Amino acid sequence: MSQGEIIAGLLAPHPPHLVFGENPKQNEPRSKGGWEQLRWAYERARANLDEMKPDVLLVHSPHWITQQGHHFLGVQHLSGRSVDPIFPNIFRYDFELEVDVELAEACCEQAAEMGLTSKMMRNPNFRVDYGTITTLHMIRPQWDIPVVGISANNSPYFLSTEEGLEEMDVLGKATRKAIEATGRRAVLLASNTLCHYHFSKEPIPPEDMSQEHPENFEGYLWDMRMIELLREGKIQEVFRLLPQFIDEAFAEVKSGAFTWMFSAMDYPELAGELHGYGTVIGTGNAVMEWNLIKAGLAQAA
Amino acid sequence: MSVVSAFLIPGSPLPYVQRDNPPWGAMADALDKVGAALADSEPDVIAIYSTQWIAVLDQLWQVRPNPTGLHVDENWHEYGELPFNMRTDTALAEAAIAATDSYGIRSKGVDYDHFPVDTGTIVASNFLDPDNQFKSIVTANNLYHDWGITENLGRVVREQSEQLGRRVALVGVGGLSGTFFRQVIDIADDHIASEQEDSWNQRLLAMMTAGDIEALNNACPEYAQQARADMGFKHFAYLLGGMGGDFSGAVVHHYGALYGTGGAVVEFKL
Repeated sequence: MSQGEIIAGLLAPHPPHLVFGENPKQNEPRSKGGWEQLRWAYERARANLDEMKPDVLLVHSPHWITQQGHHFLGVQHLSGRSVDPIFPNIFRYDFELEVDVELAEACCEQAAEMGLTSKMMRNPNFRVDYGTITTLHMIRPQWDIPVVGISANNSPYFLSTEEGLEEMDVLGKATRKAIEATGRRAVLLASNTLCHYHFSKEPIPPEDMSQEHPENFEGYLWDMRMIELLREGKIQEVFRLLPQFIDEAFAEVKSGAFTWMFSAMDYPELAGELHGYGTVIGTGNAVMEWNLIKAGLAQAA
Repeated sequence: MSVVSAFLIPGSPLPYVQRDNPPWGAMADALDKVGAALADSEPDVIAIYSTQWIAVLDQLWQVRPNPTGLHVDENWHEYGELPFNMRTDTALAEAAIAATDSYGIRSKGVDYDHFPVDTGTIVASNFLDPDNQFKSIVTANNLYHDWGITENLGRVVREQSEQLGRRVALVGVGGLSGTFFRQVIDIADDHIASEQEDSWNQRLLAMMTAGDIEALNNACPEYAQQARADMGFKHFAYLLGGMGGDFSGAVVHHYGALYGTGGAVVEFKL
């Protein structure tokens, strides 16, 4: 077996509005569209993903919150209906996914070896969270690539932001070792919004784009500053600023996916490709890609 | 009198899914006991506020007539499933939704198959009404609602129950102190993770037992901070609002640990 590698990482936010706007057959509610800038951004990312031909997609979701350790989906086939507890009016999605259990177990074991509390989720009746499903649908609506789902341990909220993100850094390193050991060609998905200030009321209809704009100007400015740095590949500077960004823009990257992904990729000073930016109920969302094949840091299929 | 009984109980699934573990079994026994007390109060409806039903936009109320399903807790999935079968008092829920406007709260009903009913609501329903005798009204914990708004939710339930002639058992579902063990423990040795939080929990429970409402009102903000109380202890604000800000004392049927956090089963004397 050849050594596995991470071939790309994507910032892949999960507002269920994007699925709602697209009207796939799996989602019961219907819309007249909406959030096209972000949906078209995902279309570009989908095309790139198709070329990469990964063996597996790993997604770290802030809506599978675990208190006691970092958990990994560990049932080969999971299916059911996922209803968003916050937006049940727009997201009632029939999902069906295949888990790469061997890789999930390797990640879990490696995380434990590196000192993290980790656990496999073996219950076949488990309802996969809407963050995981939305990110996976938006990046690969065919659902034909096995996945590894990773929970967001609440350490950045229970401990300090810095202590929590240190754990995510370790989780990223453990993920990389597991991918290498199992020979997988893997794409990482950080399911995170940037600025997370949002409106408290929903427009009627929800897809009325005349109501959509950044909720918070300072948060928007922070998003632009961070995206600009990411586009320039100034990753070290991004992570120097990250705690301040989290604090001042209420950024969802606090939950750890962004740090996990960059740690797993070993924080390459590599320019990210911005597929698009847009707001959803006022929050800032960017779809960005770090393609390690194009950068010569990973092998093409 | 619309409110005929009131209870504070923990929303952790551990006593329900693993009651043969002695520390959690004692909690389960106490929950069984207050289930009997609730039935003795002969309510028409159980009015549940659970810290684990998280809302962000609007105040959500369950209006599906018969929420049923099988839930797996996102953290404690290894202990198995939580089945649920509830009957909603839809008339009371709709009345509450309409009435919150006058308190400046925008509410919305939730009526969806497969809606993820939260662990705390299921634990409350299954322990306190195992034979599904009573209808329920269930509302969410909006993260942006403070103590005062949450008290008003309790008031709305009380007032609308009076309007509709319902006898109501109020149930606030949530924990006490919030520090939990982040590593795997021997569950037979579960205990409150922080001595300081343990002390705070006991002080607060003593105030409840004594019916010292003024002391509770003064202490709760500091308690919420010092003991890292579950969701700012807002489930007690809901109960206070529902009880009209008044009760004469309380019986603490059990106080104990739930993976390091504090939990108590409390029956209030009205």
